[in-house]
Amino acid sequence: APVAKMAALRGGGAPWRRGWLPALQLVRHGSKAVTRHWKAMHFQRQKLMAVTEYMAPRPAIPPCCLAPKKEKVEEDNGYARLLRRQVEEAFRDNRMIAVCQYNSMPGEDMVLMRHYLRKHNIEVKFVLNEIIRPMLSQSKYKNLLPLFVARNILLVSPETKVKEMLRVLKGVPQINLLGACIDNTILSRQGVENFAKLPSLEAAQGQTVGALALLPSQTSSLLQGGSAHLTALLDEHIRRLQAGETGSPDESAPAQSSG
Amino acid sequence: KKMASKIRVVLRPVKSIVVRFCPFESNVESTRKFLGCINHKKIQATNRNCEVTADVRHDGSEPLVDVMFVDGDRLIMKGANLTTIEMLTALGSRCNAKDLKEEQKSKKKST
Repeated sequence: APVAKMAALRGGGAPWRRGWLPALQLVRHGSKAVTRHWKAMHFQRQKLMAVTEYMAPRPAIPPCCLAPKKEKVEEDNGYARLLRRQVEEAFRDNRMIAVCQYNSMPGEDMVLMRHYLRKHNIEVKFVLNEIIRPMLSQSKYKNLLPLFVARNILLVSPETKVKEMLRVLKGVPQINLLGACIDNTILSRQGVENFAKLPSLEAAQGQTVGALALLPSQTSSLLQGGSAHLTALLDEHIRRLQAGETGSPDESAPAQSSG
Repeated sequence: KKMASKIRVVLRPVKSIVVRFCPFESNVESTRKFLGCINHKKIQATNRNCEVTADVRHDGSEPLVDVMFVDGDRLIMKGANLTTIEMLTALGSRCNAKDLKEEQKSKKKST
């Protein structure tokens, strides 16, 4: 093959033939460039591929030796700040805060429930966990923290009408009461139910006063018992004497000694 | 990665589901999400007779999902170390299996 090429390049010979292409192009083994079987690359191509293989860039200093990157503190979103302020207000202004799990509810049921709760001055607030969690961890309500996973709603009210709230919630199966914070006391569900069964404040105060006043009244009646008895007997004696004077002069019954 | 709300479960062979958990514990997240998912409109629409009850306690017990099937079988899933997706797929696969059995039975009866 190289001889034929050299013959083609040679300028001399016939004056009209400057260069000619060899009529026969010798092909080895009859296979083409693009084959169905795997064909070994030409050796020069192999060398080129080996030299130009990809090598991953290695950092000059291994990353463990570098100082750790400080995490960027996220900017506070104005909207998040507004929501946080609203939640803080809700916690501050209301005596009763109930935390419930919210499973998706049909819209009309939701509106009805809000209506019934509004009648008892209870407001329904939807809360986002990522806003509430940092707020709670810094305030005194740390123990409410594990409650806030999955979707939740808050029922807030300045009064503590627990019985009515439980009645409304019983009619709504998709809302589950998890716990409540009433008058800065954290209660579980059982605690809330017990709280509902308690008598009202006035009745409880009356009961306490009555119980407290019982013992001293018993003591005073015991102490006065003796002299009261004596007085009663003397009165009876006088009455009988007077009756004896007006009637027949009977022997007066001797005055019985007291005690 | 599948989202938990995208998993479709056909609740036809289920009679009732009771989800018991203690919200003040720290391992209840997946159980609560499971409860939220099965209360979704589309899953509830597959069986209106299935009652889903949530039992909220405060005794430090583990989160539990108790499923009663129509043919008397019972499936108890302890959610403390399970993810929501695992629980939903387990329930879904059992429901499908029971549905298939029912269909085969009804076909046998008709033929």
